[in-house]
Amino acid sequence: MKRNFKKDFTLLALLLIPIGVAINFVGFQVAQILRLPIFLDTIGTILVGVIAGPLVAIVAAFITNSITAIFNPIYFPYVITSMAIGLGAGLLSKFGMFRTIYKAIISGLIITAIAVVASAPITVLFFGGATGNTSSAITATFLAMGQNIWSAVFTSTIITEIADKVISVLFVYFIVKSISDRYLSKMKYGHMYMKKSNRNR
Amino acid sequence: MKNSLVNLYPLTKFYFALFIAATVIIVPNYVFAFAWFPVLILIAVVAGVVKSFLSFILKTLFILLVIVFLMQLFFYPGDEVLASWWIFEVSREGLNYGLTLTSRILAIGSAFILFFRIVEVKDFVKSLEDVGMPSTGAYVVMSTLQIIPEMRRQSNTIMEAQKTRGVETEGSFVNRAKAFFPTLTPLILSSIASTEERAITLEARAFSAPGKKTSLHQLTKRPIDRVLPWVYIIIVIGLIIWRVF
Repeated sequence: MKRNFKKDFTLLALLLIPIGVAINFVGFQVAQILRLPIFLDTIGTILVGVIAGPLVAIVAAFITNSITAIFNPIYFPYVITSMAIGLGAGLLSKFGMFRTIYKAIISGLIITAIAVVASAPITVLFFGGATGNTSSAITATFLAMGQNIWSAVFTSTIITEIADKVISVLFVYFIVKSISDRYLSKMKYGHMYMKKSNRNR
Repeated sequence: MKNSLVNLYPLTKFYFALFIAATVIIVPNYVFAFAWFPVLILIAVVAGVVKSFLSFILKTLFILLVIVFLMQLFFYPGDEVLASWWIFEVSREGLNYGLTLTSRILAIGSAFILFFRIVEVKDFVKSLEDVGMPSTGAYVVMSTLQIIPEMRRQSNTIMEAQKTRGVETEGSFVNRAKAFFPTLTPLILSSIASTEERAITLEARAFSAPGKKTSLHQLTKRPIDRVLPWVYIIIVIGLIIWRVF
């Protein structure tokens, strides 16, 4: 385990972490500027998971949420969610689930499921079901219709997450396709996405 | 007074925020949890950051607290109805739970907001390094903080450049969604390419070389910084014992 840990954190993987974290922030910012209805704030975490593996992605996710906490500590509990997303993306990549566009869409759905399972309990237990974003309104609607808190939060989280995560994963899929082979060859799972090796498959 | 507070070791302040979080979770009383808030305001006054502290709370916590409170008030299942209006029923249990939840969020949230008002991130990272975080980790965190604003600026530049080439960033939803890709792709690819150069630069400065690294930036620990964490721990253990018996 200890040796594995060392092996994953090469210098280039370490330097990818700040980039991944910054992509999370910039993606969110651009989505806000373009007034898109989804967050797109986990693109960096997923990208790091896909090319550098789950461990590096978990660290990137942790740093992302820690920096968000400087500006608003309230949402720090969701660090669990983003770490789970990083872990999921890394493991999916390990099993070649980002190699074709269809597999990438399936990966997007799996990551959606991970995000929902890891964030709905936090929303219910820490915030009683509402955090003041778009999904709170949906949650309130379900509650008014007489659902209990758990199913209301689960349903509203699925609705808000599914588009966000599938689009993020597809975006990462296209980005990885356009990264140079020279760089990919130095990354943990990079060899799977190199154009040369795809030709010989 | 002000100086002795601000000059506390960063971890001492951090443990204080954790201590507040622990006490409000152990003691199930919202009056107690709300009582922390004036204490924190007092600390902010002494440290001379009260203005930014309060405006920050108004900007971030306030709306969340209102929403959380109203959600519990109207939707928390309870038997003892205090008031009803149209399809909504306000129960005593809902009122209690709403107050408990908001008091905890306020206490914990404002404790950490205050922490980041009176501690420089640089000092906090250094203190984490002192208690055993690897120095590469400290480098990654600090460089992340530098890279984020830089990449934000770059994304604005790229967006402007793409606008001049005719990429639409206004108008219909489909148009706006289409602008996302050409803005972020060049940014991501160029930043990834720049990491290779950065790796060479760091290696030229013996970044991966084995051996103890020294630091220009030093923090001082005073006797009070050794005593206070133990005080927190003893109080928390005392509270737990008081809860159990």
